[in-house]
Amino acid sequence: MASIGLSSYVEKDSFFHTINPLTKLVILLCVIIMSFTLSGFVYILLLLLIIIPIAIKSKVLSLTFKPIFKLSFMFILLFIIQGLFHPYATKKLMDLPFGFTLWEDGLLYAAYIASRLFVMMVFGYWFVLTTHPGDLVSSLTKIGLPHALGYIILTTLQIIPRISGQMQTIIDAQRSRGLETEGNLFQRIKSFMPLLGPLFMGSVQQSVEKSMALEARAFSSKGKKTSYRKTNITNMDKIIMTITIIFSITWGVLSWIL
Amino acid sequence: MDIINFKNFSWKYSGYRGWTLHNINISIKKGEFIGIIGKIGSGRTTFCSSMLGLVPHFYPGIMEGEIIIDGVNVKETSISELSSHVGLAFQSPANQLTGAGTTIEEELAFGLQNLGVPYEEMNKRIKDMLKLIGLEKFGKRSPFELSGGQQQKVAIASVLIMNPNVLVLDEPTSQLDPLGTEQVFDMVKKLSKKGITIIMSTNNINYLSKFADRIVLFDNAIIKVDTPNKILTDIELLKKHSLTHSDITEVSIRLKKMGLYKGELLVNLEDLKKVVQGLIK
Ligand SMILES: Nc1ncnc2c1ncn2[C@@H]1O[C@H](COP(=O)(O)OP(=O)(O)OP(=O)(O)O)[C@@H](O)[C@H]1O
Ligand SMILES: [Mg+2]
Repeated sequence: MASIGLSSYVEKDSFFHTINPLTKLVILLCVIIMSFTLSGFVYILLLLLIIIPIAIKSKVLSLTFKPIFKLSFMFILLFIIQGLFHPYATKKLMDLPFGFTLWEDGLLYAAYIASRLFVMMVFGYWFVLTTHPGDLVSSLTKIGLPHALGYIILTTLQIIPRISGQMQTIIDAQRSRGLETEGNLFQRIKSFMPLLGPLFMGSVQQSVEKSMALEARAFSSKGKKTSYRKTNITNMDKIIMTITIIFSITWGVLSWIL
Repeated sequence: MDIINFKNFSWKYSGYRGWTLHNINISIKKGEFIGIIGKIGSGRTTFCSSMLGLVPHFYPGIMEGEIIIDGVNVKETSISELSSHVGLAFQSPANQLTGAGTTIEEELAFGLQNLGVPYEEMNKRIKDMLKLIGLEKFGKRSPFELSGGQQQKVAIASVLIMNPNVLVLDEPTSQLDPLGTEQVFDMVKKLSKKGITIIMSTNNINYLSKFADRIVLFDNAIIKVDTPNKILTDIELLKKHSLTHSDITEVSIRLKKMGLYKGELLVNLEDLKKVVQGLIK
């Protein structure tokens, strides 16, 4: 599955790859809502106990947490800045050398933000890893996403790698005619201009041809459409959605009562 | 039975002076293989586009006359409706890919989804089509990972899968290397043998001489319609329209000059073989 372009989908034979994208979208939405409404960061972080077994079952455990590790520097920075410079800090934790102070409420605030980001990113990335863009669009189209919009989403997900491929071809062609494409920034901007012409003109011509090719395949046909990618909502999907929603509400209420 | 009927058809692109196609009259029988030849700008692409209704529905312009294809009147039928009667494949393989399909199977499914064909039927047609174009093993591959010739085969297959009775090909090999060209021509030959009506614009005279039933010479109007033997050996006529005759014709001209052959000019390799074999004896 080399080139699904922008999407980070990985093909795996797992339960969570086969369930309906909408079900996973419900899980994701519940997590996002919870991370904004739960009463403390501990409750949010406990959601990680859920994603770990899910990610293991989806066979993408290490991939799911990869972006977090890549961003660990950002999280550390968040704690340092909030811990030292939180604007409304009142509770002192300890004095540091050079007149700095570590604030308890600053750290708490950082922990709250960090846990929110952490959980949303992990769940979000798990969603992307396990959901084929074609399935996502197909399932969204079934609940009312306009057909043409679905097409645009799918092609956009794939188009960037192709445009950069075309850019390279044009660059090679221009370079073989003696165009300088290296050097300092100014030179590079200057040499970038002649590339835009072919790219843009090419795209206009291409989109005319492409829209004809789409018409030749009944793109603007009025009747009911079907989907080659199978995305039915099964009973299993309904069960998972219900459990997710019930759990979210319970967890939300508990976080405020306890 | 005529499957295609052009009656006094004329077309003028809006903003363009003069008729691009003028007073076209031609009837084509079911199962025929028609070759379209002509110089650059002679209106072949416009002629091909008219059969799917791109002219007059997609391009603005003025149309006169009537086109009836597979029982429907082009002027009164939408392009998407016509796509179940006429399959049209274009020059550039890459531009015909929808860009929405992540696999070749999905690329083939695109038109069927738009027509609302049920999944089981879709699946069956895709399997059959992949077999027909010899890409059974490539179904799950990305269409962007194919060679030009394979992409063009997928492009042709993706309109063919909608079961049209007429297949129109506008210079399907002009952007392909010799190997890709051969692959596509082989596929077209196979389709023609299955009885699909084929209209193919190409200046590959060697190929047309072998497979076309009739050749139509275009120059903003139909200049001549005749058998490959008649048109493709008319050196003066071809020259007048900036076309070159085939190597086989050239050999038969030389044999004539040398006094070794007295018959008509040849365009078919088999005919030439017979003459040469006769000479050897
Ligand atoms: N979209 C358009 N708008 C205006 N004029 C057009 C358009 N497309 C083609 N023409 C003109 O119509 C004439 C016939 O063009 P067409 O593309 O049909 O010829 P062709 O025989 O296919 O040529 P080629 O060998 O270049 O493919 C040309 O003179 C061209 O300039
Ligand atoms: Mg043309």
